[in-house]
Amino acid sequence: MFMAVLPMKQVAICALKKDRKPILELLQRLGTVQVEDGDLNDEVFSKQDRSEAEALFQKNAQIAAHALDVLNAYVPAESSLAVLKRGRKAVTIEEYNARVQKREQIMGECRKIIALEKEHSETVAAIPKVESQIVALEPWLSYDLPLDCTGTRDTAIFTGTLPGEVTLENFCKKLAEYIPQTEKVDEQIISTSPQQTCIFVVCARSDAAAVEDTLRKMEFAKPPMTSVNPAEAAKGLKQKKEQLSQHVEELEQQIKSCASQRADFEFAVDYFRARAEKYSVISRLSQSRCTFVLKGYTPEKDAKKLKDTLESRFDVIVESTEPTEEEDAPVLLQNNTFAAPVEPVVKSYSLPGKGELDPSVLVACFYYVLFGMMLSDAAYGIIMVVGCALALSKFKDLADGVRKTLKMFFYCGISTTVFGFLFGSFFGDAVNVIATTFFNRPDIKLPALWFEPINRPMKMLAFCFAVGILHLFVGLGAKLYMYIKRGHVLDGICDVVFWYMLVGGAIAYLFSFSSFTSMMSLSYTMPSQAGSVFGWIAIAGAVGILLTAGRDSRNWFKRILKGLYGVYGITGYLSDILSYSRLLALGLATSVIATVFNKMGSMIGNSIPGVIVFIIVFIIGHTMNLAINALGAYVHTNRLQFVEFFGKFYEGGGREFNPFAAHTKYYKFKEEQRL
Amino acid sequence: MSMNSFGIFFALLGAVLAALLSGIGSAKGVGMAGQAAAGVCTEDPSKFSKVLILQLLPGTQGIYGLLIAFLTMTQIGVMGGNPDISLVKGLLYFAACLPMIVVGPVSAIHQAKAAVASINMVAKKPEQFGKAMIFPAMVETYAILALLISILAIYGISAIKI
Repeated sequence: MFMAVLPMKQVAICALKKDRKPILELLQRLGTVQVEDGDLNDEVFSKQDRSEAEALFQKNAQIAAHALDVLNAYVPAESSLAVLKRGRKAVTIEEYNARVQKREQIMGECRKIIALEKEHSETVAAIPKVESQIVALEPWLSYDLPLDCTGTRDTAIFTGTLPGEVTLENFCKKLAEYIPQTEKVDEQIISTSPQQTCIFVVCARSDAAAVEDTLRKMEFAKPPMTSVNPAEAAKGLKQKKEQLSQHVEELEQQIKSCASQRADFEFAVDYFRARAEKYSVISRLSQSRCTFVLKGYTPEKDAKKLKDTLESRFDVIVESTEPTEEEDAPVLLQNNTFAAPVEPVVKSYSLPGKGELDPSVLVACFYYVLFGMMLSDAAYGIIMVVGCALALSKFKDLADGVRKTLKMFFYCGISTTVFGFLFGSFFGDAVNVIATTFFNRPDIKLPALWFEPINRPMKMLAFCFAVGILHLFVGLGAKLYMYIKRGHVLDGICDVVFWYMLVGGAIAYLFSFSSFTSMMSLSYTMPSQAGSVFGWIAIAGAVGILLTAGRDSRNWFKRILKGLYGVYGITGYLSDILSYSRLLALGLATSVIATVFNKMGSMIGNSIPGVIVFIIVFIIGHTMNLAINALGAYVHTNRLQFVEFFGKFYEGGGREFNPFAAHTKYYKFKEEQRL
Repeated sequence: MSMNSFGIFFALLGAVLAALLSGIGSAKGVGMAGQAAAGVCTEDPSKFSKVLILQLLPGTQGIYGLLIAFLTMTQIGVMGGNPDISLVKGLLYFAACLPMIVVGPVSAIHQAKAAVASINMVAKKPEQFGKAMIFPAMVETYAILALLISILAIYGISAIKI
């Protein structure tokens, strides 16, 4: 298949309600039907809202995922790299059914581990609380009464703290100053520190109020309350702390002991997600008392097998029809291995709209070339090729988009290598720098197979413009192709052929000026007769555009005005072509920065430290340069495709084909007989 | 000391200003975008790679500035060679650096604003990443055009005998 938007069939499946569950599960495992909202709504058929059940399954999936997170925090899972290598585990139907049988039990385990984690974090939080209580008791350790003891029948006891460091003498004096009448007071200092002084006061019950009042004036504060004496209380608290720490460890052990259930948890996540997906489909079905109708889209190539598979197993009618013009059929692209890798790029712009062609092949041809011209270093290209090839061969279960993107960079790497050798760049001028610095052979360098852009920038600029013009003209060609395919040949001539004449003629006309060709450092100048022929072609094109660009209007005056505006579009072409100068700028950026790093590395010269510095600077510098310039090349290749190229012919607006399937994370639910 | 010895001064002034101002612009731009990117990652760390690419976009102006500085310095012999150039030639080199000196920092900051907006876009609609990347890249076009003119001018001047 050359390039294609896969043709879609609309399918309607009518079956008995008793078969609903197995049919839906089969469809889910096949993953080839996109289910649409059913449109039957009368006294027989109606839709069931099952979003509540769907939400419940979603919630279960979240609980299982949470349990898995908890488990991963205590028992590290396989590294994500290893998982990528291994791929998702396949489950046979028997294993699947066995696990489904005990799903409630698995969910119980999930809830248990979450509860354990909650208790664990609460216990961990309780420990510092106890610790601060122990610290608060420390100044009181030498006090041998319970701290909540307020006295006897005839005496009152006050224990507490005063701010700052207070000596017994001062304290007695102050107390005597405030309440000179009382004599039956005994004061003691339990402990002092610069922040506070712990005091103990005994007085007669009758004086209690006066003493308390006085103490309050001195900013007296109550101590932590204990019903036993502080030393014993502290001992108790320490024991409590021990117990808490022990409990934390026990809980950790318990959570860790669940490690064997990781597979169950993973299964639960996948299972409940898949079920939630299934219930979202049930909500879309049209159902009567005993039957249901499922409507959707499937790629034409799968339609026949789908019908056969379903009809051989169930009492069911499968009807597939061509989608009508008004219907918005979803879009699925299929391309050969050369063009398929750029499908994610096309998708990130927009999928082809109704009746549009799939631009992937055209995009692919230019994508690799433009990227290669911008990065244009053979060594960087080889690194990309090797890296992508390794990733593709090692990692089994990459998402489709990631796999395609890696393949795209693989091809981009090949192109980068080719342009690198054409322009004589291998880690910039590393070959020459190493030969000169360490082997004293300045004559050795990697010769450019074509020319070095840094020495002849105008030639490179001319080449970039040439590639750009080709790119734009191919885009216009695609527009012409689409006009012809739809039978609008006249529109094709007005909107494409005239532009070919105007832009192509004008560019060719320039070649008859020696000032232009010498500026572009070209050796060939066209004879002026030929030049004037091209000039006339350009004028003819311009007149054509002037007369036809406004062909929608009946009024001739309006038509010419619109035509003038149409001809003004030539400025757009000028800026489009100039935009390709980024190929030169980014290409030079790669090689010049590489040169800067090589130069920096070689500054110490030919000695042992010189070699070490060179290697370090070389590795760091070129890694950075590759990363930044590969990013730049990627972004600007996309820009040239999206803005300059797609601007000529492509609109997009298609809806992605998103089939009903089990979007699992850990397991592949195998269907014994794939379509 | 003849006036001609000022030639090398102006040429070097142009070179270092290109690196200096473009560097400041890019530093500011990448910083702005980085704040927005970090904000997105606090909510959803899985978007890291996407917002990182967007954050880096305003960083290229600094590299272009470095490129112009390096090209000028090799041409005028500061990196080894004969640094004896006339005053006129020195001023010409200064003029050649001007596009990068002016457009570099300004475009970096404006590109950063577009990048911040694109990062917000990716935060809400991660599937629109392809489009989000294009908006800042549109701004960069002008930095690239400035870079191109500076490069061509520097090479052109070296061929002039003044």
